[in-house]
This record gives sequence, C-alpha cells and structure tokens, in this order.
Amino acid sequence: MDRNQLIKWLKEPAKMGHKYSLHAVYFCTGCGIIEVPPSITARWDAERFGVLPVATPRQANLFLITGYVSVKTLKAIIRTYEQMPEPKYTVGFGSCPINGGMYWDSYNTIKHLDKYIPIDGWIAGCMPRPEAIFVAVTHLWTLIDKDMADGYRRYRESYNEYRTNQEQVLGKLDWPPLFSIEGAR
Amino acid sequence: MQIVHIILSLLLALFIGIFFSGLSRKIMARIHWRYGPPITQPVIDLIRLFNQRGVSHGRLFDLGIILALAGSLVVVLLLPVGSIHPLSGSGGLLVILYMMLLAPLGIALSGGEAANPNTSIGISRKLLLAMGYEVPLLFILLAVMTHYKTISIVQIVGMQQETRWALVSLPMLLSGIAYILILPAVLGVRPFEIVQAPQEISSGPMVEFGGPFLGLAMIQHALGLYVGIALFVNLFLGGAGNPLTFFIKMLVVFVLGIFINAALPRLRIEQAIRYLWRWPTAFAFVGLVVVVLLR
Repeated sequence: MDRNQLIKWLKEPAKMGHKYSLHAVYFCTGCGIIEVPPSITARWDAERFGVLPVATPRQANLFLITGYVSVKTLKAIIRTYEQMPEPKYTVGFGSCPINGGMYWDSYNTIKHLDKYIPIDGWIAGCMPRPEAIFVAVTHLWTLIDKDMADGYRRYRESYNEYRTNQEQVLGKLDWPPLFSIEGAR
Repeated sequence: MQIVHIILSLLLALFIGIFFSGLSRKIMARIHWRYGPPITQPVIDLIRLFNQRGVSHGRLFDLGIILALAGSLVVVLLLPVGSIHPLSGSGGLLVILYMMLLAPLGIALSGGEAANPNTSIGISRKLLLAMGYEVPLLFILLAVMTHYKTISIVQIVGMQQETRWALVSLPMLLSGIAYILILPAVLGVRPFEIVQAPQEISSGPMVEFGGPFLGLAMIQHALGLYVGIALFVNLFLGGAGNPLTFFIKMLVVFVLGIFINAALPRLRIEQAIRYLWRWPTAFAFVGLVVVVLLR
C-alpha cells in the first residue's frame, strides 16, 4: 500500500478494499490451473498483491477461468459464478476461453466464454506465465479504479440474454434464474 | 468509569486480535521465504467483506453469528487486561468457562441453518476437538483455583504479581506445561486446524459465509485468538500491571504459537483426540494431584 494513496482510501474505502483484497476461487477448470500453484506459493507469492485462493465461492470475489471450458465444466462455472457475492470479477486465462484456442473445432468445448458469463479481462497465451497473472491483477486494479470492471452489473442487466445462451448449450437448466427474467419465454 | 473501561477493553481486544491475524500472515510468509501481504491485510479484507452483498440463508443464520460474536465479546470483558477489568468481579473463571462455549455454539447454529454437508462435518469436528481440549483445560483451571483458593481471575493475577508467575512456581509448573500443550488446540492453529481445513472440507463451518457474515466471523476468530492467549497470560504469566506489558507477553506467546503453526502439518481428528487425552491430560491431572497434596 502506497502512502500517497491515503486520500483515495479515505474517499472510497469500498473500492480500495475490492482492489487490494481479491480472493480467488480455487476452482480448477482446465489445464491452466497448473500455473496457479506456483503463483500462489513461495516462488511468485500472489499474497503480496492481496490475491489469496479461498475454498468456497461464497468467500471469493475473483474468478480465474483457467483453460478450456468443456460443456460439463460450463455448468459448474455458471453455478460457481452465481454463488459469488457481488461485486465479483472474472478473468479468462489462456487462449481457450477467449476463442476456443486449440480446441476451436472440438465438439465438446465452448468457444467464447463471454457469451455465457461476463468476463472483465483476458490473459492471452497458451500457457500464460505466472507473471501474466500479476500483470492481469494490476490491470484489474486500474479497471476497478475507473469503474470499468462491471461484469457483475452487465450480468444483472442482460441476464435474459446470458440465460438464453446458457440454455442453448446446456439444455434446460435445473436451477431457478438468479435474477427475474422479464417476460415469459 | 466502568463504561470507559468496557469500551477500552473491547477496542484493545479488537485491535490486538486483528493485528495478530495480520502478523500471523506476515510471519508465515517470511517462514515460507515469501514477501507476504501487508500487515494491514485483515483490515483491507474486512473493508472489502463489509462492502459486499452477502447471501443470508435464514433467520438463524443471521442470529447465530451474532450470538458467537456476542459470546466472544463477553469473555473479553471478563478477562483483565492489566489494570482494566470491567466485568471481572462477576463470576471469574467459572463464568469464563461457560461463556467460552457460546462462540462455537453460535457458529454451529449459524452453519447448521445453511445446510451444507461440509458445515456439518466441520461442526462435528469442532465439538469433538472441544471435548478433547476441555478435559485438560478443566483439570488446569481446577488446579489454578485450588492453588490460589479463589475463582476470581483478578485476585489470581494479583497474587502472581506479589510473588511470582504461576508458570515458574513449583506446584503450578505441570499445569502450565499442560496449558502450553493444548494452546494450539484452543486457538485452532495448524496442528489442530482440523475445524477449518480449507483443503479438505472447504473451510468447514465458514463454507456458506460470504460478505458481511464472513466479516463478522473473521472478527469472532480474531477475538477467539485474543481470548485463548489472554487467558494463558493471566493465569500463568502473571497478568500485567499495565496494558503494554500485557500486550508484549501476549505477543511472545502468539509468535511462538505461529512458529509451531508454520512447522507442523494438520492432524486427523482421531490423532488430535488421542494426543489431547494422553499427554496434556496426564500432565494436567498429575499437576492437580500435586497441587492438592502440597496445599
């Protein structure tokens, strides 16, 4: 924490709290999770940025989607994302959630993750190095500062579209909608 | 005057508890050869948690965590900090023994309402662990009360100030060793971190806590740290004449506890019970017998 940020802390304590206390869901969604253990343990030490893995989505506010997303995983991702308390931030890690990556013509993976849940930022690469996580974290800080990391608000506003996209892939979802859907479908 | 003492004692407990949480993360990081988070990280976490939109799971979920926090705050008021002892005239050690049960009970009620299987495993582990360390704790407190012929914790501190610390006086030595042996279990740190166990049961009773609820649970945990160490300092390290000496004594005990926490892996529940009912209980029982014979 910089001493010259003291005025910011006094002005907007909530925003600074969200910035410097990013607790990540420790949810292994693909091969990219192999980069997360070195970055949270002694070699790269994510805790000095305030990034800490937690065991349950209820306690978290950062969701790293690491690697390819199969249809089955997508279901778990949506449930986990909906359980996280707001405000919450999502970062797609690796090229697979961006556009399918090397799985772009696979029958069993989805190509564009941001059609199903809102993403605040992407880390490109196959695999990105652990340093890239920290670059992403500092970028996320700037986004939160400028109020541009608004994925959770986009999810609330266009929940109808997201739910439609989710049901196109997964069929009928067996949990009730998180927000009210205006108009019967 | 009593109002001022009550507020001062609560503020001191909150400050010391939260400072210790931050310090433990920093020391653990340095032992792991990491840089570690800033020492103010628990405060940042608390600011973040109280600004999140938590999900409640029912009326009992809201009330249980408040019950746990209130129980911890009452125990804090009963413990003398140097010359500040707002409520310690009322009941002494016996009341502390009862009130210390409120915190796990509140967490259990609150977690039970959330109906998560990990919560029930965590709660059953918590109650088993409490059964493990309360047998030696009861022997230790009996020995202390028999030796000093009083249940008032203020008088116990006063008598230690006049003569010497209970830990280095002969009849109390074994009880003191027994308390040191069960201290990690009372605090719930690493060899006995069975209740939370994030890698096994997704942080146990805390699994459904998010946002402000987790913030209250964090404060309760910090107060729990404070209560466990403050009881040890008051009973065996002679309490203190002023809050600063008290703080330094607590700091020494806590840092030693953190070293144990960093060095040891987590026990299984039956290993923990076997340990707690063997060596600490044996030391505490022999200590009690020695105290009764030398009286």
